[in-house]
Amino acid sequence: MTNDEILKKLADLVAEGEEEEAVETVKEALAAGIPPLTVLNKGASAGMDVVSAQYSAGEAFLPELVLAGDAMSAVIEIIFENMSSEDAAASKQGVVVLGQAKGDVHDIGKNVVSALLAVNGFEVFDLGIDVEVKAFIEKAKEVNADIIGVSTLLTTSLPYLQDTLQYIKDTGNRDKYHFIVGGGPVTPEFAQQMGADGWSRTAFDCVEMCKKLMAKGHPGQGGTLLIDSEGGVA
Amino acid sequence: MYNVKVQRLLDSLDKAYQGPVIPMKEWDTKIIPKTVKRILKKYNLQNTLDMDNPINCDDDLADTFFKAGWELALELGMYCEDTERVIKITEDELLQTIRDYQDINILGEGQDQVIMRPRKPEDPYKPLVASSLGIVCSEENYLPLVQGIVKYPKLVDVLHGPTLATVFGRTFRSGTPYETLMGNYESHLKQEALWRAGRPGMACTGVAGAVTEFGHLGGAPVLAGRGNVTMSLCPVELKCTFSNFHRIIQGLNYGHKLRVGAFSYIGGYAGPPEGAALCCVANDLLIPTIMQCDYTSSYVYDIQLFGNCGRKAVWANSVSIQAISRNTGFMRNKIVNETAGPCTEMFMYEAAVGLMNHSVSGASKTTQPRSAGGRYTDYITPVECWWSGDVFKSCAGMTRKDANELAKKILPKYEEKLASPDKGLPITECFDLQRQQPKDNYIELFNRVRNELIDLGMPLDKAFGEWYMGKVSNGRRTIIL
Repeated sequence: MTNDEILKKLADLVAEGEEEEAVETVKEALAAGIPPLTVLNKGASAGMDVVSAQYSAGEAFLPELVLAGDAMSAVIEIIFENMSSEDAAASKQGVVVLGQAKGDVHDIGKNVVSALLAVNGFEVFDLGIDVEVKAFIEKAKEVNADIIGVSTLLTTSLPYLQDTLQYIKDTGNRDKYHFIVGGGPVTPEFAQQMGADGWSRTAFDCVEMCKKLMAKGHPGQGGTLLIDSEGGVA
Repeated sequence: MYNVKVQRLLDSLDKAYQGPVIPMKEWDTKIIPKTVKRILKKYNLQNTLDMDNPINCDDDLADTFFKAGWELALELGMYCEDTERVIKITEDELLQTIRDYQDINILGEGQDQVIMRPRKPEDPYKPLVASSLGIVCSEENYLPLVQGIVKYPKLVDVLHGPTLATVFGRTFRSGTPYETLMGNYESHLKQEALWRAGRPGMACTGVAGAVTEFGHLGGAPVLAGRGNVTMSLCPVELKCTFSNFHRIIQGLNYGHKLRVGAFSYIGGYAGPPEGAALCCVANDLLIPTIMQCDYTSSYVYDIQLFGNCGRKAVWANSVSIQAISRNTGFMRNKIVNETAGPCTEMFMYEAAVGLMNHSVSGASKTTQPRSAGGRYTDYITPVECWWSGDVFKSCAGMTRKDANELAKKILPKYEEKLASPDKGLPITECFDLQRQQPKDNYIELFNRVRNELIDLGMPLDKAFGEWYMGKVSNGRRTIIL
């Protein structure tokens, strides 16, 4: 098998969410002498582009995204182990701690975001539903996160978004983590008023937002980044 | 009946502790999608979505979805998140539930009592309207808003009500004592509003702001008995939690009817519109059997559009509602999730298509509206509730063929804006709460769109024009609300 064929196979396996086979193929690619950065960009990332486009077009759905995200995470771990520390640092998208606000069990939108972030190379720690305020910061400290994201579909859980940010501030951690919010009733105005670092309309917008926040640095400074591909936010 | 329901609920809870153990991720990402895909293929239901005909008119297709949904329900059952086990049912249990199911649901009491009946597709029997959905409303607006919502007995039959933004000026957080207090407070406010509107016996469908059992616990004693309803909504298709069972048992304890639902998401675990429709049929079979509800409240939602007024969701709802309507006597509450806000043409068009579809497909009841997608505080007025009643009831008896042709004319008026809908106006800018009337800007828009839809063929005047008819000039009717 040529190098191009190996990379194509890896892209297909990531897109199809075949985690075990994707891991074997990464090892095969590295053993064949393909540079880790090339394996990442022309293999794994190419697969991620495929599944993202399929989801956007309504040809793939949440299960495919989740499985592709799992495959991508496993593949990235091996690739980074084989990179120089400089290349790994430059290639890492960031670490995100994500969860559904306290009182809210409607997590399907958050699951789409979680899967899309993983598919796009972020390391995602998804805390699930009905997450206590304190749990976000505890996990963020444990995994040295860059971004904390809280989502809700319920207006009655909106106060927990403010509580979480306040807790981050009160524990002296505001400059350590970007704080992003999203979900049905979370408006850009609400995000701005509470002082979040980012808000996005769609799951795809969230990926874009996280990339921009990572490039920007300096959590808690510079206002709220609003990403709305539908054009609802100027 | 109470004892029978309790015994069957206990059987379901036992199964939640004894059923097969499956990790949740495996259920979500493997078992649900693979089983849905396999059953769709077995019954040749893949790619049956008809974007050119959003309201299904094919009885055979509806019946095939029923058979496939029946198989899915029996094969999968419902997943209990708390125990990570599956509550499975047998075919005998499902048949027994169908045999034992009641002929009617009586809601409310006295002169405000209404009767819910099973409806077939194209059924002329008028379905019931509950208003509103849990849109957030300022505390100071709550009473006059609810009073306005229930102003017209022929349009709104049952009160669900908006959600309070605060309780005695305090922000409340779900799952805390604030929510327990809110449940009690909201219920008292609704009783007061019903009394002011002269409709004290109207049924209430639980506590709108309650997202956990605590809110229901606070509100249920206030609304005990007399044909009121407790609502329990599952997190996603084919899944339930103990919180659902808490609410159901609380409802039984207080003599309530039970409304239980689970939504199926296009783009979610069930996959394409056909998968979401299939899961919706299975939900409507499993929930009465496992959770002993008096009626279900499940529907299909499109997660990419944050609503269900696009063609895919309209079609998926039509075929799944018809599947159950044609083959069982189960009564169902079906919700339209509009995305546009008050005082917009877009809201009226979305509601018109969605409610006409649910009415002609055989829903027994709706709960409406989801003004502005439920995203903004005070973006709800009584007019959207009245409009929902006007359309949903007036379209009873329409043929699906006529409804489909009409939907094809209305959909192009809004579907391109679904991803970025018109926000509309807050209540204070288009409705006079003191006089309980819409302001001139809303009256003009309402009549213009209403007349436009009558001209296109929606039978609004035929069914409901007489009693609140306004002045007629040049052949055009102006409704005086």
